Amino acid sequence: MTPPDHERGERLGMVLGTEDVTPVSFWFAVTPGASVGLDDLVTVQTRKPDGSPVHFYGIVDHVRTRHEGVTFDSDVADVVAGLLPAAVSYAARVQVTRVSPENFIPPQPGDEVRRARGEDLRLALSADKMKRSFPGGLLADGQVLPLNYQFVNGEQGGHINISGISGVATKTSYALFLLHAIFRSGVLDARSEGHRTRALIFNVKGEDLLFLDQPNREVAQREADTQAAKGLPAGRYELLGLPMTPFRDVQFLAPPKAGAGDVIVPDVEQRPSGVTPFVFSLREFCVRRMLPYVFPDGNASLNLGFVIGNIEEKLARLAAGDDAPYLTVEDWQPDTETLLAEDVRFDDMGQTRLQTFAQLISYLEYKLLEQNDGEGDLKWVLKQHQGTLRAFIRRLRGVQKHLQPLVRGDLPPERAQAYRPDILKAGVQTTVVDIHKLGAHAQSFVVGVLLRDLFEYKERTGRQDTVFVVLDELNKYAPRDGDSPIKDVLLDIAERGRSLGIILIGAQQTASEVERRIVSNAAIRVVGRLDLAEAERPEYRFLPQSFRSRAGILQPGTMLVSQPDVPNPVLVSYPFPAWATRRDEVAEEVGKTAEDTAKDWLGL
Amino acid sequence: MRIRLDPWPVDMEGGQLGLQRFDGELIDIETPRWAAVPPRPIPARLQTVYVVDGKRRMESRVFIEDEGGAAGLGGFGAYVVGAVELCPHGSRPATLRDVRAGRVLAHAPGLRVDPCRLSPRDPHTGQLQYEPVVADSAEPLAPLHKLQQLMLHAEQELSHGLASAVPFSEEDEREALTALTLQDGTLRSQNLGGAVVGCVKTMQTQYLPPDRAGLLAELQPGERTPILHLRSEHGRVTRFTWYVRLCEAAFYQHPLSGVMRLEMYAPEDPDFLPPIVRTVANLSGTLLRRLASQAHKDPRAPQNLIPTAALEQAMTRAMGSADLVTRRLRAHIARELGAAS
Repeated sequence: MTPPDHERGERLGMVLGTEDVTPVSFWFAVTPGASVGLDDLVTVQTRKPDGSPVHFYGIVDHVRTRHEGVTFDSDVADVVAGLLPAAVSYAARVQVTRVSPENFIPPQPGDEVRRARGEDLRLALSADKMKRSFPGGLLADGQVLPLNYQFVNGEQGGHINISGISGVATKTSYALFLLHAIFRSGVLDARSEGHRTRALIFNVKGEDLLFLDQPNREVAQREADTQAAKGLPAGRYELLGLPMTPFRDVQFLAPPKAGAGDVIVPDVEQRPSGVTPFVFSLREFCVRRMLPYVFPDGNASLNLGFVIGNIEEKLARLAAGDDAPYLTVEDWQPDTETLLAEDVRFDDMGQTRLQTFAQLISYLEYKLLEQNDGEGDLKWVLKQHQGTLRAFIRRLRGVQKHLQPLVRGDLPPERAQAYRPDILKAGVQTTVVDIHKLGAHAQSFVVGVLLRDLFEYKERTGRQDTVFVVLDELNKYAPRDGDSPIKDVLLDIAERGRSLGIILIGAQQTASEVERRIVSNAAIRVVGRLDLAEAERPEYRFLPQSFRSRAGILQPGTMLVSQPDVPNPVLVSYPFPAWATRRDEVAEEVGKTAEDTAKDWLGL
Repeated sequence: MRIRLDPWPVDMEGGQLGLQRFDGELIDIETPRWAAVPPRPIPARLQTVYVVDGKRRMESRVFIEDEGGAAGLGGFGAYVVGAVELCPHGSRPATLRDVRAGRVLAHAPGLRVDPCRLSPRDPHTGQLQYEPVVADSAEPLAPLHKLQQLMLHAEQELSHGLASAVPFSEEDEREALTALTLQDGTLRSQNLGGAVVGCVKTMQTQYLPPDRAGLLAELQPGERTPILHLRSEHGRVTRFTWYVRLCEAAFYQHPLSGVMRLEMYAPEDPDFLPPIVRTVANLSGTLLRRLASQAHKDPRAPQNLIPTAALEQAMTRAMGSADLVTRRLRAHIARELGAAS
């Protein structure tokens, strides 16, 4: 069973006898001349009294040197002065990740420790148990960390959660790298899921993700430099078995610019073309019950929640039975001032047409606070207190500015249809929804509505065709305290999405501020650079102590990855993105003239 | 009345100061002028200093009956000698040399004893082998004395093997002093001809007459007394000896604390001081001040030298844990008796 000596990794040392040796953790003395660092994967073979071997695979989580044979700290001066004989003791601690066969006897002091390579490495990382895996990054020595796809796509587990400080932790980059690996490593081809697996990415900061489909002109140089600096035998993309290419079949959705009249242009700055604006029609807003998503804190007060639920119901009924983008109401004759201010149009037969979000609010205000000499329509008010009703209207007015360009009744039906966000559009694998320019309320609204739609769609169609949802700043959408409609959707996804084929790749600065059930449902947990105080919180107890203290010094481009198959987290690095993340990183396309480029710049 | 402390811990037998009377003979071999001699720098060609020590331990006393029906006392014992090799100029790290334990079964004469091999209890712990040696008599303490003899012999071999030779004739006086051995304690009786210095930590005997003893209190750190030729009362032992101060005595300690006596082998005729002895004496202050230990690290400071303390530790370790060895002896005997019955 044991491979011959030349196929095994180099000998690193012997298991120590001066510290307890246990089946889950032990120390070994490093042979002079060998170099052992954190994250090295090692293997030990011990023999039971009957001669049968037991193999231990593990990861080094602590290394230290010290003088042995001397007592006092200041003895180092005597040792260096050549007066005091002392030996340097170089020892490393191993956290066992696997025992094979599963006989949890301790190794014996004196057992030989070797570096895990080849087949040993596969066993150490439980790769042999993974029927389908994709690369999750490179280990320190350039070997590939496999991630079990069955723990990602919902078969055995699902969801990925990434924590880390903004900026240095590069959470989004790693999430995109994982998507790239899933899409392009061939893990999907085994069951020909390639064309049916999709991703929905919310772009919450800057316009970083709007160039996913463009090659990055720095990547070749950066990767060559890294390869040289780390002394890797090949480029990192090559080692990982991934193409150094940008994403394919991407659509970009962005909200329209406000106040542009009938012309609907996406509200983006850096990318002149290829971004589709998206809007919701006013009728859709009512029929598909989007009102609750306008109130991220709607459940804060019982009464307000009641009013929201009631109005949601009334609007749904009001809008039912037609498919024009606008609503028509018969019982409202706004006075002329409102008319002028809000451009209300009248239809035949005294009907009033509601075309904008502002008009809808005015109508609701009329129904709740003005009709019947200030009593309101009794069926709409439902005996709620005036104060609550005013609070409801006030909040609506508060988000009016943000939602006005998004929720429209003034477009012809065919255009409204064209601008409906369709994240499951044929021929599109990755959808990027840009919400970074929206206000906080509008962001929640868009995320909530899109995820709810997706969830309901998947409830109907089942778990075929996995959809990955990438969402940063989970602490905003699913905070630990409080309730909100969008948190409910995220919780649904976290708890049931696995069986519906919706996989959340969520990220946040601080997992301690995110709803516990969302974090704990993630099968794969990733940690980038963490604030050290944050790293000590219970959410990170899955990291052994040495990893937690190291989380404070992780460099951009390195992550600690924990997956169910491997009991200990593993430090990986992942390559520089092959797609552009800024306008000036976009590689010049072959054959493109300077004139075209200039036109692109000018948006012509 | 003035009371001052002996610096050594009270559980050390005798303390640093004993001050028994000396009835032998002292001759001024270096100079008749009784005054402090300042230290000299260590000559560059002295490249290696060895600090040698030995240790022994009786692990079990036994009663032996052999096949022929004879019976007698014996003992399982271990001894170890070793050296620390260091460069007096500090140009390389100090290393332990030849720290190896020997194990013997010392027994009364007239018995037929086989070697005892204690097999390991675990694949990774070594086996212990006790070679039989015959003690000088059937006395109960004879096995212990035999063990001590073996240790001293091994120590002597090691000391002299490592050091440069000391010529006792005037012809080859320029014999280079390249390697010097510091031996812990007084020199053993047999001289094997090496440049070996005995470092006597305690002053059990006051060799100096009262009119000369005052100089010891006045020595400054590194300074030494002139070299004397010493002959014991019965004339059996002849040595060159001198005193050197390693450090200042604290005000609460007796004035001789911090002083150490050194000795080298001397011919019986007190007419010639080998130059190498003078060289050693001259450098001894400089060398020993570097090697001297400090009170907070070693209770027998400064006389118990830094390398000596490390060597003692290494030697104790080389002999192994006494408890475990005793247990393995017991297990071995149990197995032997079990097999016999």
